[in-house]
Parts: sequence; structure tokens; C-alpha cells
Amino acid sequence: MKKRLQWLRYLFLLLAFASATVVSAQEVTVTGKVTDATDGSSLPGVTVVIKNTALGTVTDIDGKYSVKVNPGAILVFSYVGYQTQEVTFAGQKTINIELSGSVSSLSELVVIGYGTVKKQDATGSVVAIDDKDYNKGAISSPQQLIIGKIPGVQVTTLGGAPGGDAQIRIRGGSSLNASNDPLIVIDGIPIDNAATSGARGSLSMINPDDIATTTVLKDASATAIYGSRASNGVILITTKKGAAGKKFGVDYSGNVSIATVPKTISVLSGDEFTALVKERYPNRPDVTGLLGTSNTDWQKEIYRTGISTDHNIALNGTVSTMPYRLSLGYLYQDGILKTDNMKRTSVGLNLNPTFFKNYLKVNVNAKYIFEKNHFADNSAIGAAIAFDPTQPVNEFRNLGQHYYGGYWAWLQSADTLPVNQATTNPVAYLNLKEDDSKVNRFLGNAQIDYKLHFFPDLRAVLNLGIDYVKGKGTVYIPEYATWTFTDKGQDNTYYQIKNNKVLDFYLNYVKDVKSIYSKFDVMAGYSWQHFYYEANDYKSNVPHDTARTTDITKKKEYYLVSFYGRFNYTLLDRYLLTFTLRDDGSSKFSKNTRWGLFPSAALAWKINEEAFLRDSKVLSQLKLRLGWGKTGQQDITDNWYPYQSVYTASDQYAQYQFGNVWYTTWRANSYDPDIKWETTTTWNVGLDFGFLQDRITGSIDYYIRNTYDLLNYAPVPAGTNLSNYVWTNIGDMTNKGWEFAIDAKPIVTKDWKWDINVNFTYNKNEITKLSLTDDPSYLGVTAGGISGGVGNTVQMQSVGYPMYSFFVYQQVYDNDGNPIEGLYVDRNNDGKIDDHDRYHYKSANPDATIGFATTLSWKKLSFSAAGHAAIGNYVYNNISSNRGVYSNLYRPEGPYLGNVTSDVNDTKFVNNQYLSDYYVQNGSFFKMDYMSLSYDFGNLVKNTLRLGISFTVNNVFTITKYKGLDPELASSDNNRNYTVGIDNNMYPRSRVFVLGVNLSL
Amino acid sequence: MKRLYKITFLVLAMTMFFASCVKDLDTVPIDPNDLTPDKVYANKAGYNHVLAKLYAGLSTSGQQGAAGNPDISGIDEGFGEYLRGYWYHQELTTDEAVIGWNDQTIKNFHYQNWGSGDVFIQAMYYRIFFQITQCNEFIRESTEAKLDERGITGADRTEIGFYRAEARFLRALSYYHALDMFGNVPFVTEDDGVGKFFPAQIKRADLYLYVEKELLAIEGLLKPARTNEYGRADQAAAWTLLAKLYLNAKVYTGIDNTEFYTKCITFCNKVIGAGYTLEPTYQNLFLADNQNNTNENIFSVNFDGLRTRTWGGTTFIIHAAVGGSMTPADYGVAGGWGGTRTTSALVEKFPDFGDRPWSSPTPKPKGGYPTLYVPGSYQGWDPTNTTTVLKSVGSNNKFEGYLNFADAGTEFKFTTGPNWDVNYGDDNGDGTLEPNGANIVAPDAGYYKINVDLDALTYTKEKTTWGLIGSATPGGWDSDQPMTYNATTGEWEITVDLTAGEVKFRANGGWAINYGDNGGDGILEADGANITIPAAGTYNVYMKLGAPDYTYRIEMFIAPMWDHRAMFWTDGQNLEINDISVFNDGYAISKWKNVTSAGIAGSDGTYTDTDFPMFRLADVYLMYAEAVKRGGSGGDEGTALDLVNQVRIRGFGNDERAKINAADLTLDFILDERARELYWECHRRTDLIRFGKFSTGTYLWPWKGGVKNGATVAETYNLFPLPSSDVSANPNLKQNPGY
Repeated sequence: MKKRLQWLRYLFLLLAFASATVVSAQEVTVTGKVTDATDGSSLPGVTVVIKNTALGTVTDIDGKYSVKVNPGAILVFSYVGYQTQEVTFAGQKTINIELSGSVSSLSELVVIGYGTVKKQDATGSVVAIDDKDYNKGAISSPQQLIIGKIPGVQVTTLGGAPGGDAQIRIRGGSSLNASNDPLIVIDGIPIDNAATSGARGSLSMINPDDIATTTVLKDASATAIYGSRASNGVILITTKKGAAGKKFGVDYSGNVSIATVPKTISVLSGDEFTALVKERYPNRPDVTGLLGTSNTDWQKEIYRTGISTDHNIALNGTVSTMPYRLSLGYLYQDGILKTDNMKRTSVGLNLNPTFFKNYLKVNVNAKYIFEKNHFADNSAIGAAIAFDPTQPVNEFRNLGQHYYGGYWAWLQSADTLPVNQATTNPVAYLNLKEDDSKVNRFLGNAQIDYKLHFFPDLRAVLNLGIDYVKGKGTVYIPEYATWTFTDKGQDNTYYQIKNNKVLDFYLNYVKDVKSIYSKFDVMAGYSWQHFYYEANDYKSNVPHDTARTTDITKKKEYYLVSFYGRFNYTLLDRYLLTFTLRDDGSSKFSKNTRWGLFPSAALAWKINEEAFLRDSKVLSQLKLRLGWGKTGQQDITDNWYPYQSVYTASDQYAQYQFGNVWYTTWRANSYDPDIKWETTTTWNVGLDFGFLQDRITGSIDYYIRNTYDLLNYAPVPAGTNLSNYVWTNIGDMTNKGWEFAIDAKPIVTKDWKWDINVNFTYNKNEITKLSLTDDPSYLGVTAGGISGGVGNTVQMQSVGYPMYSFFVYQQVYDNDGNPIEGLYVDRNNDGKIDDHDRYHYKSANPDATIGFATTLSWKKLSFSAAGHAAIGNYVYNNISSNRGVYSNLYRPEGPYLGNVTSDVNDTKFVNNQYLSDYYVQNGSFFKMDYMSLSYDFGNLVKNTLRLGISFTVNNVFTITKYKGLDPELASSDNNRNYTVGIDNNMYPRSRVFVLGVNLSL
Repeated sequence: MKRLYKITFLVLAMTMFFASCVKDLDTVPIDPNDLTPDKVYANKAGYNHVLAKLYAGLSTSGQQGAAGNPDISGIDEGFGEYLRGYWYHQELTTDEAVIGWNDQTIKNFHYQNWGSGDVFIQAMYYRIFFQITQCNEFIRESTEAKLDERGITGADRTEIGFYRAEARFLRALSYYHALDMFGNVPFVTEDDGVGKFFPAQIKRADLYLYVEKELLAIEGLLKPARTNEYGRADQAAAWTLLAKLYLNAKVYTGIDNTEFYTKCITFCNKVIGAGYTLEPTYQNLFLADNQNNTNENIFSVNFDGLRTRTWGGTTFIIHAAVGGSMTPADYGVAGGWGGTRTTSALVEKFPDFGDRPWSSPTPKPKGGYPTLYVPGSYQGWDPTNTTTVLKSVGSNNKFEGYLNFADAGTEFKFTTGPNWDVNYGDDNGDGTLEPNGANIVAPDAGYYKINVDLDALTYTKEKTTWGLIGSATPGGWDSDQPMTYNATTGEWEITVDLTAGEVKFRANGGWAINYGDNGGDGILEADGANITIPAAGTYNVYMKLGAPDYTYRIEMFIAPMWDHRAMFWTDGQNLEINDISVFNDGYAISKWKNVTSAGIAGSDGTYTDTDFPMFRLADVYLMYAEAVKRGGSGGDEGTALDLVNQVRIRGFGNDERAKINAADLTLDFILDERARELYWECHRRTDLIRFGKFSTGTYLWPWKGGVKNGATVAETYNLFPLPSSDVSANPNLKQNPGY
């Protein structure tokens, strides 16, 4: 078997050499004029490029051009707002072109894995969006560009912190414990999704202004070419390039924005708090004596209005035959949490010269990003809800130990030690902690595309890429800060390096055999990737005390080696067939299980090209797509050697004493020698349609995705491994869903244009297997850790239920509809309330998501708005469950007082009822993501200096029944381990008012 | 032809290039802290590091202290620590402890209402099997064949032989815990590899035989008693475990046979004959420097505030017990977690609790008052001396304090700072102050009360002598008992016989200056409340004036016979428990501390130094006595009584009056004595089950069965359930009956 696979790998390469012809070249100059098809007026500035090269020109003020071409070359005429036209040069001296206004982008090229395809010829579920569709306003990270834009793609920002890191889920996610993040490829370089220490997020380092197009590959027939890393979909990002033949130009875009706090958590005011404490502790002077006399709104104390600016300038043009684009961006963003700040400088350079009469094309991208952060301690958010409102922010006293920085604190008794258990002063969190970082990232690739001189139907493409990130930072907390008082402060430094390299080489053979009405497009390639990680964490206190100092360096690496191929066959320009195969080897698996074979097949039928529909006035396009494929998953984020027996040495705090010596301990880690690929099989049926000359276009997709051998950090039978959990393949899961997208242009006149875009996704997720034995009584694996108590969880991953289903007790209510404390439904009727009465109640994942966008323009004024909605997602209100009880008012350990959320008035709960389904609340919502008004002044100075201004409000409003701050939740640790549907002191998303300017010269 | 050549060349070149890249996939860990077995077991030092983990498996929760890179998953890491889990199972389920927290199902332990899905039970179970599989791995890697293969010979090889025997001991210990708590568990030895398979289930009685066989087999392979390094197991550890195994054999095997008790005595005798002695001071066994008690400790689980950190272990035991009015610093920690207390059932095991020396509450000075310095001839004219100062309690520029002038004609001045920058004297001795004025003169030697008003610029000085007065004193409220001033300590003191009643302090035989204590905080207030003396006795009374806060101490001088082991914290605590969630319900326990026997705090305020004695001599003494009373031979009643009395005498602070008679020594007495001696040391559940008092209705304690007065629970609860997660994962497992 193994031998055969090796052969198969090389077969791809041989295939591409199967036949060859040689064509000679002879250059001729062609001239012509480009006019508007409707009124015949000449069109200046039309780009004329020789297809598959960077050679070309633009039309002059009279719409005339002149360009040197080889026979057989294809000239491509493109102009904003017009349909692109292609003309094959067959010796004619003059080529005059009439361009018609464009409503369709069907002939646009869409980037797919290792190549491009015409949108109309795509066989898979592929959606590409660019500038005109992107979200507007204050956008600080690339993910924000596409929120709500694409059916089946759910983008959830992790909160309102600067940098706007987000979680992306394509069709619900296919994994349980392994990564559910899509593969993101920027200019051919696959990006590591995990954020680097000190960075705001993984993608937050990319300047959104540099991004040209974002293409999402959803079904397996589209993604399988990325095989092992494609199970969660693929996002291809292409950055802006210099335009061939264009003269020197400068583009500037910038904005100033003001971020405000839209809503805060309702807690008791100082007066309400005093009254309640006095009411609940009537004869307890020791309790009421703890009350202060201030009336502090702690949430007001920690939040602010944040002001940010974003400037982007790009120079582009062509030097001899080399188009270039040089861009410079600077983002300054203040978080709404005081002291939170991010500064990002980005430099991008693109060079795409051609050599040897277009036989050799080179495309070089280099991006350097420098991010500088001051992180505010997010603990302040929870502390502001919990802190006694009758105490002042500051307290000035004249003695001893700096008095905790002058911040009021709960002390064991006057002038003594802080109460460890008590809430920390939220303002002290923000002002006493210095948490700074600097992150440098270099993202660069060079793509060499060579059309073989001795065999021009064959292209050889070599892509070399590197993604290097180094984040470093310091955390300093003075020794007198209450929350580190026992440990005498903190003085840490850390760094993290990620150095990921990719080498891709592929051959592409294209042949149009007119005699049999067939077109062949064959591609075969090889890919090598190396991932390197290094991190150092130096922890100490103030001043440095050797017993409290640790200095740990960690290193790891893994490799992926792949062979892949794609065969595209088109018959009669109507029937399209795609077959892909990828063979992936990952160093995370043993020799026996290392290689995974991921095939896919897809069929497309352009029905409207059939004779009976070709002349339809109503139907302008109709394409049926059928796809099937297998994709893989190996992205175990925290263990890169899961099949090997590895012993881990302890740090200095987990040593053990023999005699008078403390020894480092070495632990044998659990491992599964047989661990292998997780595979996902996807079926996809899709229909793309267009009516009335594409005034209405849309698509419908139905998919089934079955994931087998889930890579799962799962419990194994006791005694069989070196821990109770091991990374292994256990479990199956399925996602089924519908996607529907429609784009309509109800009004298209000379002055008025109106565009509406709506998409709808329904996804049903179900875990179908979770254990080796299929024991029906097996409950599952806990998830959804919450704040309050220790180790409490409210979710359970169980067979027959969706991921992240809540697992709680059913609350009993009194006649007035108020919950009765501690009373739950005895669901198994055994006369007692215990674990067996917990039940699966709703899931954190939505049943359906909806995206909506519209643009209405009148002459040079345009209004646009976009929003998104989720239906059927439930949220565990951890803030209320944790803070909304009377027992928080007074804590005898200390003692100290603490505030409660106002919903205690509804529940009247004395003690925490963490596991009540009362707190699992409907989180369905509609959010208006932005509303924007812009005016395009056009050219201010004849034919130059174009000016546009815009005013945008982001996060305009949210419609929801959810009682907490915001029902749209996602949070993650540095390993991208997500918590889903638990509302626990999220950094609030701000409402942002943005004034933007665009200038081009 | 030429083209074909080119193509062939290209394909060949690529083939070679790809083949070399494919080799990259064989990468091994590059981190120096991640080692592959060939490096780990290259030499003795490596074996030693792994052995350290086998021991540390009982005390740490992962490879980062106090938390991080955990050994087991699916549970909060602190809960997953071995000793903490063991403590939960052995103590929270009994009359000895309750816990107030909201952590998951934790209260079910005390209610004896746990289920097979309980995460704490799951954690204990998987923790036991973590130990077993880690030991198995080590045993596999230390066979003669492996040592031959690795070329390890000589002394190193001999030492690794001891390591291997200790690994087998640790595995036997964990299997013993499995036997005691779970009964019928999956069974794996070094013959089973690592991977995914379904281990067979072993019957409880068969597991008993396996543990016995293993311990007997390694008895001679371990180092002789008391010859191994601190922290490592020796023959005495194996003997003690055998004694425990035999003492409980009836429970484990279902067979009632006095042979078990004979064997128990055999191994108790071996331990007793090995030269151990009782530590003279009971409290020292539970302190930060208890690693020094190797005279009594046979096998301990070790912790260190700087090097062996965990959120379980003694860090948990000590922090969880501190709450309410307890002062964390007294326990060597920065703050308490306010969780664990005991029930009245344990308190009642100490019938003489209360017969203990009464003393006044420990003063808690508030301090932080503005200072006025009083440099003078009596202290060398030093304005920086912070002991000769006055304080303004109201921060209102009115200062007060007491100063002792040893000599007649003492001169002094007042300064506002510890320097002469702003100083006041009295130019004409009229009681008003002048900046930079003349020295003030106290004509007579004596103890002066001095008041200064810096706003009015006036001062007073009054000489005082002090006495104790009140209904508790021999003179009643009519005459003072004169106190004497101790210049060394700066305290007024008196030794006096008091009856139950009240006292106050007053100056100069009148009520113009008198002090009592408002709020019973050990701080004196002028015209304060009378101080209550609860019991008659001879007392030492001390009063310290100087600068406010003024404090006093009243301590019983001749003590009654009392059991020092009754370490209950009662201040602010209720004996009875109305609400388990409230720390103040139930007496707190002050047995475990992170301070040394010299009273010095442990090396860290969060993580404790205190080791946990898993086996100690007093337990062996009591096991001997019990085995004798249960009909075992090889021992005698006289020795049994003597051993129990040794334990009691030590427990009563080496008070011979604590002795009992032969007639008193019944099995029930031994059970109670075990509670008194060994409470909060993870023995109670096993003991109660052996005596048939754990489940059922034979013995009730508060909140057993989830009811305030205690309720009968089913015998099912004598065993914990196998976690449902493992029953589902392993089709060979049959759940324990009743779950």
C-alpha cells in the first residue's frame, strides 16, 4: 500500500508532462479605442493587460491605447463599473472595444487553492468578496471586514478590545477538541491561527487596508486541495498589488473614530447597596459598620471614551516593466477600558515584474508589521461589578507600605494586610499594572511563475514563504498592589517566536482541445511546511527574589509534507468536472499513520448555457454544483508530539524532596502511538442563479459534513495510559445545513442605485459518537467552565446533542413566575435531586445566522448599512449567576462587602444557583453592524486628486431579549481553546463613530 | 529526445529532493525539558528524576507548581491533587469535617449522597490510576534486562533496585487506596503496555491478595527501616501498610479471621521495634518544620512553599480551615479560604474540652495613629526613638501616652517628627508649650501619663501607679490588688488568684483613670467595660500602656488536665451547624499550621511547608491495641494499654493524669481515641467502616445523610462508585452495587 502511495505522489508530477508542444513568438503592436457601449463616449483609464502577464497599459484621455502583443495573446480590458472583456489577438492591427456597464462579476477570476478560476466555472462552494462588499467604519482586523457577509461563515469578535480579534466558524466547525479555525492563507502563506504572546490576535497584525480580496472556500471540493488543514474551510486573502501599466499614484485613506461604551451591567448604586445591606443584616453592627459613605459607579471609573486614528497611504505605479505598490499604515487605537491601547505600524511592498516576454513572472510580497500594546487588566471588568459601591476609589493615608498605591482596599484590620479573598479595587488593576508588549511580524513570499520555454502549455510555479513573528513584553505590578501583595508583586518578561516556512511547487498544464470541445486544466504539486515555536517566560517579583524567579524556555516544531493534484475538465463549456487529491504527511503522527489521502470530486452544470435556456430573457445564469470530498485535521494546538513517549520535566515549583535535596521530577506523558488524521467527509449540492441580466443573483447550498475519528483530548479507560486523558481519535460528529444568499439590485438608474444583499444559514450540529464502546449511558465530556465555585461547568458534550449544549437543572418557579431557590425538577423521578436530574438544555451555537447589507446611492452620495443576526443561540449568564445573590453582600472571610447585580431583585436568591437553567437565556439577536454615509467629491483638480468622505457608526444597535450586556460571545485562550456561550465579563464592544477620508492622486 | 532527457532529469532531481523532505516528518521533541525515554533512562540520575515524580504524584498536581501542565484532566487541577482528593474522601464523608464551598458536588461527600458522575470521585480514581500507570512504566523501564541494555552496573544498579522496590511500594499504596475506597477496580501491572485497551476488573478480595503479595515481596527489597533518605519509603512504610491491610482485611475480603489481627500485630511489632519514638509535642507533628519529626513519622507526603507547590495537599488543608475570626498570620498564611470545620460529634469526643487554661483574647491593635515624639534625658535625648512616643487616637492633635521616668528630675521635650525640626518645651513650667521652649522637668521618678494638645499648646503629666480591682479579685470592688511595673517588658504585672467574676484596671486607687475592654478585643478603653473572668484559678495579669493602643493579657497560671489535641477554634463559631455553607457554623480546627515549632512562618505565605504524615507511630500503637482487642495473638493487653496511654499522655501535654485503666480500654474507646489522635489525617472513613459505623444508622452525626441531626444511609456508600466515565469507557467494568 505504502509503495503504491509513493508512486501516486510522483504520478501527479508526471501527468503534467504528458504531452508538449512548442510555440514560437513574434511581437506586434496593436492599437485601438475603448468606448462606452451605451452612449459611445470614450473611456479614459481603462486597464488593458495581456492575460496572465503583468504587461499592459491604460487608455488615454480619448480612450485610445497601444500595446505590444504576441499572436495568440489575450487582451483583457477592465474598468471599474464595466464588464471585463477579453479579446484574443489574431493578427488584427486595431482592436476597438465597447464596454458595457457591469452588473455581474461572473467573469471575474476567483482565487482558489494553487490557482484561479473564473467565478462562473467554479465547481465548489466558493465566495469571494472585495473592497466594495467589505464592512465599513472602524475596522482594525481583517476578520471584521467579512462579519455577516458570507453565508455559512460566522465571525464573532472576542469583545471590544483593540485589535478586534475574532473567532471564525465555517459551517459550524468540524472538530470537538482540535482546532475549529479555518485555514487562512495570505498570498500563499498559511497563517498560524494562534495569537502570539503580546499580540492582540493572530490576524490583528494584518492591516485590513492592504487586503484586496478575501475568498472563502467552504465545501470539500474547494478545500480538499488543502487536504489536512482544510476541514474547517479555507480563507484565502490576497493583498493589493501594483497595477500593470499604471502611472505613479498615491492613495490615502484615514479616519478618526470615537468609541463609546454602549451599555454597562446593572448593579446596585451606593444608596441602594447601603439600604440592602442594612435590610439584610439588621442587628449586625459588625456588617453595617463595613459600609462606606461614597457612591462610586465603578464601571464609570474603569471605562472611557476611546479615540482612535487610522492612516493608510499607498504609492503605486510601474517602474519599467515592474509594477509596484508600497503601503504604509498607522493605527492608533484606545480601548474603552482605561489605559488599554494599541499602536500598529504596517509596511507592505509588492513587486510583480515579468521577464523573458512574460515567460517568467515574479510576484514578491513583503509585509512588516510592528504592534505596540499596553494591555489593561481585564480583571477590572469583573471587579467593577463586584466592588462595594460605598467605598471611594482612592484613600490617602500617611503611613506604611505605600498604602496599596493609594487605592482603597479591604484590609484584615486597619493598617494591616489586604484581605486576599476580597475583590481588588478595579481602578488599581488598571493603574498599578504595567503590561506592555511589542510584536514584530514579517510576512513575505516570493512566487516564481515560469512558463516553460520548451513547453509553454506548462507552467511551473514556485512559492517560498515565511511568516516570522516575535512578540515580547513585560508585566510589572508593584509589590504593594493588594492582589500580588503575598507574592510581593510581579516583574515578568516574556517573548515568543513563531517561525513558519512554506515551500510550494506545482506544475500547471492547460490545454483547450477544440476538436473535442474539451478543456483540460491539470495541476500537480508538492508542499513542505515547517512550524517552529519558541517561548520564554521569565517570572519574578519585586525586588527579585531568587526563590520566586522562574525562567522557562519552551521549543517545539512540526512538519507537513504534501503532494497534491487537481484535474479540471470542461466539456462544451457547460459541463465541468473537478477532481483533486492530496496526500499529506504530518510529523504529529507515527510512520504508520502519518500519511492521509484526501480526495474530492465535483461536477457543475451550467444549465443556462443549454440550448433551451440560452436565450432566456429572465434567467441569466443557472448552475448546479455537486461536490464530495474528504478533508483532514491534524491541528492539535497544544501537543505536537502526540504519538511519542515524552517525559516532561517539572519546573522549580514542582520538585520533590529526598533527604535535603529537591529533585526536578520527570513525568511520562500520555500518548497514543496509533493517533491518526481526523477526517471530514462533505457532501454539497448547490445552485447558483441569476435573473434579469443578473439584477438578482444568488445561491443555495445544502451540505452534510461528517467528521470521523475526532481528534479529541478524551478520557481513556483507567489504567491504559499514563494519564486519564490522551490525545486520540475518539468520536464522530455531523453538521448539516442550508445556506442561502441573494443579491438584488432593485434600482439601477443613472442617478439612483440600490443594492440589497441577504444571506441565511441554518446549521445543525450533532455529536454522533464519543467513546470507544458506544455505551449509551455515557454522559459525555464536560465543557463550559464558569466563574464561581471552583471547577463548575455548565455544558456537556454528549452523543445525540449539539456541541456546547448546556447541562443544567430545571428550575422550578412559583405562581408569580419567580424562581424558587434550590428547587429543581426531579427529572428522573427518583425522589431526590442529584446529578442524574441534570439535563441538556439548548446549545450555545445558533440554529441560524443571517447577514444583511444594503447600499443606496444617489449621484455621489451613498448610504450603506449592514447587520447580522443569530437565532437560537443560548447564553449562560454567568455574571448574574455569580454576582446576583444576596450572599455576595457580606463575606465573613475577610470580612468584606461586595456588590450584587440588580437581577437579584428578580430571583431573591441568597446562595449561588450556578446550575439552574434560569441562567441559560435566549441569546438570539440582530445587530446593526454599521450605518455609513459617504460622499464622493470626484476629481477636485482636473482628472486628479479624488476625494471622498464618509461618516460611519459601528455597532449601531442590538435587538435582543437577552438581559446581559451582549449575547454575542466567544472567548479563547492563547491556544485558541474557546469558551462558547458563557457570558463572563466580556470586554464590551464599543459603539464607534467614525469620520473617514479617502484621497487619491 | 532531448526534451525527454530534460524531463527525466527533472523528475529524478525532484524525487531525491522530496524524499529528503519526507524525512523531516521523523522529528522528535526539541525542547530540553521534553525528553524521550532513551535520554530519560540513560543513567541513575534519570531514574532518580522519574522516581521523584512517583512520589510527587502524591503531592503535586502537575509539572508546574502550583498549577499548570496537570497530571490528570477533566477536573480543576487543585481538586485533582492526590492528597486533597484523599482528604475529601476520608474526612468530608465523616463526623470529622464539613466544607462550606459551592464547588460542584462537594457537599455530597458530607451528605453521603454522591453518585457515579461525581467529579471529585472521578478525580481521586484517576489520580490513583495515574500513580499506578506511572509506577508500572518505571517498573517496566527498570528490569534487569533494561539495565543490562543500558549498561548500568555497580552501585548505581543497586540503588535503582531500591528505586524499583519503592515504585512497587507506591503502586501498592495506591492499589490499597483503590481497594479501600473503590473495591473492584480495573487491574493493570507492568505487563500491560501504554495505549488503548480494556483492562480486566479485579475483585476486591483478589486485589487485597495482590497488595499483600506485593508488599511481602518487596519487604526485603526496600531499605531497612529508618535508613532511607527523608521522603522515601523504607521497610517500615511497607510494614505499616501491611498492618493497615490486615487490620481492615475483614472489610476487604469479607472473611472474619483472627489470623488477620495476628498478622497486623506482627507488623506493628516490627515497626515498634525499629526504634521510633513519639514526638513529645503533639502540635509539632502538624507544623511547617515537621520534617524534623522522623522519630515518629514513618512515611510522609512532602510539601515545600518554594519548591513543592500545589493548591491541594497541606496548602489546602491549612487554608481551607482558616476563616471567621482566625488570624491568617497565626497559621503562616496570607489569607484563609474559610471552608472546612468540624461537627459537634468530634467535639464531643473530647469530654474535657473546656477544661483548659482560660486566657484573655489576643489583642488586635488598630495602630496607625499620628505620633508625637518625646525625647528626653530618660532615653538619651533621641527624637527617633519610636517606643517613647505619644499617639493621637482621634488624629485631632490631642496626644496621649505613658512614659516611665526611672530617675527623679527627668527632663524631656516634644517633637512632631523624629527630629528636632519642630519641638516644644515649656519656658516657665506653666503647662503651656512654646516652640523651642525650655526642657520640661518631672520632679519625681515614676510612671507618667502625659497628654498634649498641640492646638491649645497645653500639656499635662500625671504620675500613676496601677492596680487590679473587681469582683473576681480577693478585694472585690473595694480594694485594689497592686500591680508592679516591669521595666524590662514595659508591662504592669501581677500574679493573683481570681474567682469567676469581673475585673478592671485603675490608677492611683481611684476611678479618675481606669481601663476596661469594650468589645473583648484585648484593647483597653478608658472607662471601658468590665472584663469577665470565666473560671477560678491562679492568673498572671499583664497590662501594657506606653502609647495607644493599650493592651492587656490575663492568663491562667496553673492549668487543669486538658487534652491538647482538642484544637478547636470557637471564637465566633457555633458548635452546631445550621447551614453548612456558613463558615461560622461548626467549630474551626487549628491543628494544621504553616508555622514552625519556633513560631516562625513558613517559607511562603500561600504555599505551605508542612508535610503530611501518611503513616506515623501513634497510629501503629493504636492499631496494635485494636488488633489485640480484636483477638490477635503475638501481642498482649498490657502492652496495648501502655501504648494507648503513651499516646494519651503525649496528647495531654505529657500529663500522666491522662492515663486510662485496663477496664477503660474497649474497642469503642480505641475508635474514639483514634478520632482524638488522628482527626483530619485521612483515617476516619476507613476506621468508621471497620467499626460498622460509617453508613447505616448505628452512628449518626450532624448532616450525615443530608439531615441536620443525621440520618441513616444505605450500606452502598461504604464503597465509592466507579466513575461512570470509566464504566462507559471500559466494557469490562461492572459498577459497584447500589450505584
